[in-house]
Amino acid sequence: MIDIVGALMDNIISVLLITLGGVLISWSVHFVPVGGAPAAMAQATGIGTGTVQLAAGAGLTGLITAATMMGVTDSILLVLASGAIGAMIMISVTMLVGQWSYVYGVGCVPSSAKVKYDPITKDRQDLYVSQGTEGHDLPTVSYVSGIIGGGLGGIGGAMVYYYLMIIENSLPATELVGIASIFAVGIFFVNAVIPSYNIGGTIEGFHDPKFKKFPKAVISSLAATFFCAIMGVIAIGGL
Amino acid sequence: MEPLTGMGVLALMGAAATIAGASEDLESDVGSQSNPNSQVQLAPQMMYPHRIYNKAISGEPPSNALMCAIGGTVATVLLGMNASVILALTIGSLVAAMIHGTFSVSSHLGRIASQNRFKQPLYLDIVKSHTPVIIAYSFITTICILVISYLMVVVLGHPFPLPLLAFIWGITIGAVGSSTGDVHYGAEREFQNVEFGSGLNASNSGNIVRKGESGVRNGYDNSWFCAKFGGPVTGIAFGMVVFLSGWITTVFDASKSAAMGWESVLAGVIIVIILAIWNRKIEVAARNAYGTYKEDQDAEVAA
Repeated sequence: MIDIVGALMDNIISVLLITLGGVLISWSVHFVPVGGAPAAMAQATGIGTGTVQLAAGAGLTGLITAATMMGVTDSILLVLASGAIGAMIMISVTMLVGQWSYVYGVGCVPSSAKVKYDPITKDRQDLYVSQGTEGHDLPTVSYVSGIIGGGLGGIGGAMVYYYLMIIENSLPATELVGIASIFAVGIFFVNAVIPSYNIGGTIEGFHDPKFKKFPKAVISSLAATFFCAIMGVIAIGGL
Repeated sequence: MEPLTGMGVLALMGAAATIAGASEDLESDVGSQSNPNSQVQLAPQMMYPHRIYNKAISGEPPSNALMCAIGGTVATVLLGMNASVILALTIGSLVAAMIHGTFSVSSHLGRIASQNRFKQPLYLDIVKSHTPVIIAYSFITTICILVISYLMVVVLGHPFPLPLLAFIWGITIGAVGSSTGDVHYGAEREFQNVEFGSGLNASNSGNIVRKGESGVRNGYDNSWFCAKFGGPVTGIAFGMVVFLSGWITTVFDASKSAAMGWESVLAGVIIVIILAIWNRKIEVAARNAYGTYKEDQDAEVAA
């Protein structure tokens, strides 16, 4: 019989920090400039794919680099930083090559339809939006926002994985890695999906008015990840 | 591990990733998947019947993740039975590709059948000719991902099990493919009937090009066109992701000291900054080369 209360009390720090990791992931998704199907047809600013898809792609690449680092060091700061860097490299490369596709393959100029001037470069945006579209490609503000989103998502994913790995249990090391990594991937997906309801298909980055809705998603993620963390601690701690 | 050996393995992984990226994008072009497929799906409803294979099994990341996880699981089982590595990875990829082919056919038949009311015909020659190509591309993608995952587990000593690494790289390659190469298919190839660089006016939605360079356009023609730009850039993107994310931890090995670990983080930050500057350079060059789409009303009023 598993001592559920005992397992939870012994690992209460893990429960709280896994929840924090989930909240970070949820917040990070709002930074990622995605335009969904319209962006794939150069009808909207952002990357032409879905919110969950890109956030998960970046965050899980961060999870791979974080796990590599955790295999050789116990420093949590180093593990979190590696997770952030892995995710930031993935999203930076994807956005840059996406920019190649738009500029050289499609012939469109990067522009935002949500702001008249780019908040970072102060470049005029509205004149570069083609007729009948909501902007296209990735202006600098969206690119920077995407890097921030990737970094936060990577930190969140690495934090979830780290605190799942240090739960007290009697599993062999290889099996612990297997079950902790599957839980980490699952918790990542839960928190990548929740913000989709705020974003509704397209968001340009932190300058988009939809970004202000993030507290709703963060609170929902807090509740959802808390239950995921409890289940993770009981499942791993009870084995 | 010797740094030189690590770099050699990384180079091999980068090469496999580049091939995987290109084949993943071309697989989604010949079968039409992911976001650009929304226009292929919409066309018959706007009275534009076509001869393009219409398979949207799911978004590209989940469908590639499923494919790679199946391949990784079968390969792991075979490796556990002492099969040779090459045989295990090949059989795993073959099983995954066949299952992907099954999904492709059922997805295509289901979608076309649901468009019967819009008089969209089901062309059996398209099913027979395109499905083997889709299976072949997905085989190449899966075996390359399995090679990357196997090298990471066995040579670089990554703690994750092989099927999970294959699953994660499947998600990543799908995310990269649908973000980069698919734009070339969706925004350019499907709408070559509008002026280059004009963007896609929402009123043109569904009006995809249906005439090929010779005869009526099909998935082969799209794959041929996208192989010139969309496929290779996807390959470069995924190759860069795999190589750069591994390079920082291989060159600056954190197992030697914590300081080396922080140096790897610093190297990653520098790479990201260089990529951001590169992006800005492209943006400025595009603004100068292509110019504005409309007149500056504010300036005219002021004058």
